[in-house]
Amino acid sequence: MDKRLLPLLPLVSKPARYTNNEVNAVHKEWTEDKVKMVLAFPDVYDVGMGHLGFKILYAIINGRSDALAERAYAPWVDMQQLMSERGIPLTALESGRSLADFDLVGFTLQHELSYTNILKMLDLAGIPRRSRERREGDPLVLAGGPCAFNVEPLADFLDFVVLGEGEEVIHEVLDVAKAGKQRGVGRREILRELARLRGVYVPGFYRAVYAQGKFQGLEALEPNLPTTIEKRVAPDLGALPFPEEFVVPYTEVIHDRVMVEILRGCTRGCRFCQAGMIYRPVRERDPEQLKEQVAKLVKSTGYDEISLSSLSSGDYTQIRPLVKELIATYQGCGVSVSLPSLRLDSFAVELAEEIQKARKTGLTFAPEAGTQRLRDVINKNVSDQDLKEVVQAAFQAGWHRIKLYFMIGLPTETEQDLDGIADLAKQVLAWGRQYRTSRKRPEVTVSVASFVPKPHTPFQWRGQDPLEVLQGKQEYLMERLRHPGIQFSLHKVEHSFLEAVFSRGDRRLGAVLERAVDLGCQFDSWDDQLRFESWLQAFRDEGLDPKEYAQRCLEPGDPLPWDHLSPGVDTKFLVQEWQRAQQAVPTPDCRWDRCSLCGVCFNLKVANKLTEVGRGD
Amino acid sequence: MTNTSTIRFQFTKGSEVRFLSHLDVLRAFERAVRRAGLPMAYSEGFSPRPIVSYSFPLPVGALSEAEYADYRLVEDWDPAFFLEHFNRYLPPGFQVVQAERLPEGSPALMSEINAALWKVTLPGVSPEDVEGRWQSLKAQDSFVVERQTKRGNRQVNLRPLLFGLPRIAQLEGAVEVHCLAAVGSEGNLRLEELGLLLGFNPAEAVITRLGQFKKVGSVYQAPLGNRGFTWTEQ
Repeated sequence: MDKRLLPLLPLVSKPARYTNNEVNAVHKEWTEDKVKMVLAFPDVYDVGMGHLGFKILYAIINGRSDALAERAYAPWVDMQQLMSERGIPLTALESGRSLADFDLVGFTLQHELSYTNILKMLDLAGIPRRSRERREGDPLVLAGGPCAFNVEPLADFLDFVVLGEGEEVIHEVLDVAKAGKQRGVGRREILRELARLRGVYVPGFYRAVYAQGKFQGLEALEPNLPTTIEKRVAPDLGALPFPEEFVVPYTEVIHDRVMVEILRGCTRGCRFCQAGMIYRPVRERDPEQLKEQVAKLVKSTGYDEISLSSLSSGDYTQIRPLVKELIATYQGCGVSVSLPSLRLDSFAVELAEEIQKARKTGLTFAPEAGTQRLRDVINKNVSDQDLKEVVQAAFQAGWHRIKLYFMIGLPTETEQDLDGIADLAKQVLAWGRQYRTSRKRPEVTVSVASFVPKPHTPFQWRGQDPLEVLQGKQEYLMERLRHPGIQFSLHKVEHSFLEAVFSRGDRRLGAVLERAVDLGCQFDSWDDQLRFESWLQAFRDEGLDPKEYAQRCLEPGDPLPWDHLSPGVDTKFLVQEWQRAQQAVPTPDCRWDRCSLCGVCFNLKVANKLTEVGRGD
Repeated sequence: MTNTSTIRFQFTKGSEVRFLSHLDVLRAFERAVRRAGLPMAYSEGFSPRPIVSYSFPLPVGALSEAEYADYRLVEDWDPAFFLEHFNRYLPPGFQVVQAERLPEGSPALMSEINAALWKVTLPGVSPEDVEGRWQSLKAQDSFVVERQTKRGNRQVNLRPLLFGLPRIAQLEGAVEVHCLAAVGSEGNLRLEELGLLLGFNPAEAVITRLGQFKKVGSVYQAPLGNRGFTWTEQ
């Protein structure tokens, strides 16, 4: 930790965010010969410490004798204020050195509403915001993560971007940075070498072309650049390194537990879901290896909870034996097992029963849409019958609180679909009264988010509903869900709107982002921090209409700002899925059914890798 | 259960972990227990918890040389081995400095503590300032302030909660004051209230809990070891 922060700690909320010295934190000697990278998370410590990707990279980089990795998080507003007043730069936790002292500053792009924090963190570290303003001696600023698949709004600020899985390419990046440092070559030369790596995109080597205010395409400014940057993907997760130690925080953080990744990717094919497209194919980890990882992590961290994480944990072919075995091994020492993402099927209830034997707190399901028709449109392959069975099973097994996730503003949605949400909630409550075995009164919580069109999904062309329309739908639902036993929670439509703007944005949004930061916008995903008026002013000041980005419906064939960034999924497949959506025709999961011809396996020379023949449901 | 034992130990909280809250400390110890593989005794019931108790919460930002805890184990461990073994798993900044096997039927830790010895290092004042302040306080038998509690505000007389100032010494650029004050459920002097009494801002001082004791009259006895003393204000 930077010693200059010490006198500030009594003055800020949650001072343990800034103090370092956690168990398993790695403090390597700061020497000239090492390539130094700071893993910078664009939100506060308590949010960033839960991120598994950075835990993996931290271990990989620190595992090299010629490199070191440290951590940095966005200081909360109270601390920022004090740091600015005293001229203290943003520093990394381990060495207390300014981010500007590192060779590489790596951000993760988990969601669009964290973009202002990236600029803010660069400001606080005294690193020039724009890539072209950085000089020799300034760090190279890079980013990766899901939003890298349309990184264009950040193109002006990032020196380079990594697409896809980081475990292997990080070594290549470090090697290039190290060689560049040793040979004393300039930034531009290093970036040229980085651009040669598969999966690496150097936005500054391309120029965006517009006509009549519309994006037309990218032009390469250097010879021998790829026109499409394809993501990195590992055919076998078992061959990838996984940390044996996690840094154990003192203060409460999200996902504060042992996490192992049981599988990567999901081929369920929900048409709104970006994760389901960009992380393909499905690769399961060997259960024996998982058990070893869990054993090492429980021992090195002392955590009392093990989380089996993935996009859809119930899909792991050997989930049942794995959960059973972990429970048998660890329940004696007070360590519990949790599954964060369970799909709606009766199997999920059986699994949940396995896990929550004593405390049946609550079960969460995501039907996403209120009618069978709309669920077919979005390819959420859950039938009314499934729903009924799973909910009844849950109440019979002793749960009394059910949480249901829905989305509004989905393509083809009508009033009937909204009524369907309300009816379903009431139906679940009625089933609860009929089937409950718990003494407690049944409760249903309905959580409603607004649809956000995401790049590389079949719904990428579909504009978002106007703000007023979304608001109207929320009110409509609120009216219909005013019912004893039903609770209703909403996501702010302003959040979803900005998310849509930046998810489908192009490079021109860089200026808006900068303006917004200057107007005080940051921590936009925090309800109490979002300054929507300032955002609208930033758009006005830069002469851009945010509605054009969020709400315009595009046609297949229109140039898209993310056309050159490829997760391996063919556009042809997305178009076909978009058409099937309009006809409400579902597409089955290629794990258990025929190939849906998405293109990933062919393009990236990979394949689904299951640990056992599918469970055949 | 045979062979169970309770170990009482004293530990320090150093600068590395100074800004952890009491809950953070409990969590850190719970995890260290699991890393160390201590054979804890668990409570009965739906969600069994290890049977442990800790001395009174130390305010965030304060250091300590004398925090205490009782751990109930299902095996009979040698306290010296416990100390050595557990220290290997505690985070930097925490250290067990003393451990003893507690005889069956010993009084609870909480009932063994009602006084704390604080060391307060105050920048920018002189020993005379503090001495003068203490002399005028001594002459008063009440010093009433408004105390905010969860159930609203109430009037508290702080004067009887401050037992004395056994040491006021000049250090380079600061004054070091030792204060004996009430701690615990019978009466507790908060650090910000100690600041009100002695005229300092706790955010600017470095505060260390040097000891915790059971005060009976002028005799102060620590919950562990033979380190007791007698002290009366001159």
